[in-house]
Amino acid sequence: MKINVLLFGATADAVGSRELELSIEETATAKSAIDQLSRQHATLAKHQLLIAVNEEYADPGTILNDGDELALFTAVSGG
Amino acid sequence: MDFTELTTKPIDITSVARRVVPPKCGATVTLDGYVRQFTNGRETLYLVYEAYEPMAMKEMQKLVEQVKQEFEISNVGIIHRLGKLEIGETSVVISVAAPHRRAAFAACEWLIKELKRTVPIWKKEVYADGEVWIEGDQSTSPL
Repeated sequence: MKINVLLFGATADAVGSRELELSIEETATAKSAIDQLSRQHATLAKHQLLIAVNEEYADPGTILNDGDELALFTAVSGG
Repeated sequence: MDFTELTTKPIDITSVARRVVPPKCGATVTLDGYVRQFTNGRETLYLVYEAYEPMAMKEMQKLVEQVKQEFEISNVGIIHRLGKLEIGETSVVISVAAPHRRAAFAACEWLIKELKRTVPIWKKEVYADGEVWIEGDQSTSPL
């Protein structure tokens, strides 16, 4: 199945893209998707990541579904 | 009226404060957050703000709902600027109107603290000799 990965700021720079499609196995978790992406983009693993699934904060153990939007970003710094 | 907005245009602070005022209120506290020139002794040339916009809007609306439950206030307005900002330009305005000032001050402080912790917006500081995406305090992050 496929998910849509969104990246912002430091994570977008690490991956060299702001949005990409990722093929993952059924019952893959957010963490396994991150591990998969980190194998292709080693600099991503240097960051402590926050996760959102479909625009809500989510734990690394969250199980992903086909078509989910997985956002990966560093601790927020607005204001 | 409560409101939350993201904008790439300069923010008119006075209009933000005026938009939240209902008849039964006696005080509006407005935070004007703007771009600092020196951070820890290093000079910033300008900032670039980026947001996960739909989630940022949701998180700001959650803050408005929460703050109105926890403080004796009437209305709240939050506007955060995105894109490139020069030194001294306003990046965020939070206005809280309340019957009495004490609750408005406390609620405004709570809102900026929570916004900096939970709303998915990031700032890049650009210096004469480089640039860096600022990472917030991981220890207080929502996860």
